[in-house]
Amino acid sequence: MNVLKEVLEELWSMFVGDRRLTLLTLVIVAIAAAVSLLAKAAVVAAVLVLVGAVAVLADAVFAAARKARG
Amino acid sequence: MIAWATAAPAIGAAFVASTVEVVEAFTIVLAVASVRGWRPALSGAAAALGVLALVVAGLGPLLNLVPLHALQLVIGVLLLLFGLGWLRKAVLRAAGLMALHDEAAIYTRESARIGGEVRSAAAANGVAAMASFQAVLLEGLEVVFIVLAVGAGRGLMIPASLGALAAFFAVMTFGLLVRKPLAKVPENTLKFGVGVMLSAFGVFWTSEGLGAPWPGDDWALFGLAAAFLIVALALVAAVRPRPAVVTP
Repeated sequence: MNVLKEVLEELWSMFVGDRRLTLLTLVIVAIAAAVSLLAKAAVVAAVLVLVGAVAVLADAVFAAARKARG
Repeated sequence: MIAWATAAPAIGAAFVASTVEVVEAFTIVLAVASVRGWRPALSGAAAALGVLALVVAGLGPLLNLVPLHALQLVIGVLLLLFGLGWLRKAVLRAAGLMALHDEAAIYTRESARIGGEVRSAAAANGVAAMASFQAVLLEGLEVVFIVLAVGAGRGLMIPASLGALAAFFAVMTFGLLVRKPLAKVPENTLKFGVGVMLSAFGVFWTSEGLGAPWPGDDWALFGLAAAFLIVALALVAAVRPRPAVVTP
């Protein structure tokens, strides 16, 4: 049971280690999916995913840096 | 015949990511072996590899049942979460804001932990084999995910698996030759590279899953990786603490 618990914890931390990063990434993908489906603008959706991912990364790094500096 | 531009990123990403994970698992297997011998260390590792083989055998055929666009979207999002998380940590470590992964310290800690739990010889061997099993299973799960993620989206399971296998044999061969924790592996540099590649794969598959093919097709992966590399290096420079200026 202990091994199973550790495996589940490992899987959880692989994808939800940083909750803010996970949440923002899912929001970006949801917006891109809406743009692709509703506006039929797949290229705009692709650019949104790229720009959004870069922005999420920058946000996560700056947030962690602020926290590390206290 | 798979094009080189298609297979190379999958092989490279699987190889580098698997190298990092195999080094981490090897450190603990070596710690177990140094305390209780190779028998419990290798039996635990072999059992974990057996479980991982069952996971791959079970998941592989299931993936063929999922429509390609849905598979690309799900895998793309999972890769984005995994890749961006990994890249975030690599940037913070490169900037000196997070401690580097220390294989030598992990080796010492695991050796002490396994040695400290000794009761009888049989119990000690059981604890040792379980530690080895757990380490190989946990790190191996990440390798399995990476292989599935970079390979399943476009029928690249074989190149991705070859990349992971090459990493396994390279680390094992080198590790068994030196018989020391592989502390000199530039782990954060590798993780930086893996984070860049996984994030690029994540954006690529997510967009393809949404029905937006990239210009240049698979060659776009190199452009996406270059974009993430430039941004990540800029972030390292932006958050790196500046030395205090001493005024006379």
